[in-house]
Amino acid sequence: MSGLVHWAVDVDEDWASVLAELTRAFEAARSVAQVEESIVYVVRQDDLLGRRGAGNAMVACGLLSAARTAALEGARKGWTANVVAFDEKERSVAEGWARRLLDDGSVNGELIRVGPGHIGKTLA
Amino acid sequence: MNGTMVVTGAARGIGRAIAEKMASTGPLTVIGVDIAPELALSESIIPVQVDLTSIEGPGLVRKAVEASGSPLLGLVNNAGITRDARLVNLTDEDFAAVLEINLGAAYRLTSDLAPLMSDSGSIVNIASRAYLGNFGQFNYSMSKGGVVGMTRAMALSLAPHVRVNAVAPGLISSEMSMAIPEDIREKMVDSIPLDRMGTPDEIANTVWWLLTPLSSYITGEVIVVGGGRSLS
Repeated sequence: MSGLVHWAVDVDEDWASVLAELTRAFEAARSVAQVEESIVYVVRQDDLLGRRGAGNAMVACGLLSAARTAALEGARKGWTANVVAFDEKERSVAEGWARRLLDDGSVNGELIRVGPGHIGKTLA
Repeated sequence: MNGTMVVTGAARGIGRAIAEKMASTGPLTVIGVDIAPELALSESIIPVQVDLTSIEGPGLVRKAVEASGSPLLGLVNNAGITRDARLVNLTDEDFAAVLEINLGAAYRLTSDLAPLMSDSGSIVNIASRAYLGNFGQFNYSMSKGGVVGMTRAMALSLAPHVRVNAVAPGLISSEMSMAIPEDIREKMVDSIPLDRMGTPDEIANTVWWLLTPLSSYITGEVIVVGGGRSLS
């Protein structure tokens, strides 16, 4: 299975910066959905918990929700949408997990957490 | 409680129920914000007609709060729209419109009003059960996920003085849900363990609880009010 790994980039605290990044993620997802390929969003674990400011949190949590919705649509067509969230020390491992999700195709709408930072914290 | 509370999207549905709940409970100044020209609210609610996505929008609400002359105890970010389409057909315009109103307006207003919040103030953001994913709502779902992220980040940055939480309604009897074709709506209700749509008052009750000291040790949380739909 082929598709796209989309890394969320850091944003400022201003809305224009947030909207630009969310739009970039939307355009990426739409482009692969139109050719029935899969997508994996990669975000920081800290951003799912809001630890690095509202801008990055809005992007990370927004991408997770969008991926869950895209997954519902992809399930009917045979493509998938997932999210990998990584702790900073595990950044290099995240890409491998993202590729694995693209290649496998049996996991859909999931959040894969790389690193222990999420343990004992809220479920995303 | 004695002070001021603000609710956006106050003209109808959930927002109206929240504003009426505020107005009926205690000596509060309630400011109802909406873009609708006919803000037919109770006489006890101060109407502010404004486009929250405009540059001057948040500032106009801020002026109304300052003019109230009492501390800002509560803010409810409720204003929202839907522009549903499958991802492959979702237009740039519909994507941006939903993000701007549901997330951008809430973020900019909260950033503007946060410095005015009193100690022990409370902010409640209306998310949606769709933040867990909902077919045909990529833009709406992303915007509500963003609201959850904003809630968590602001819960951390505004602590310990101001609490920030989110309420995620499921299928609620409102204009928004009535726009869903009846046969689809009936199927949705069939999948709800409590076997009915929720009411705006049931959301207002949850929001009110989060606004008051009854929930004084809760911040950064998302409370799903969906009749058990997230399980079925």
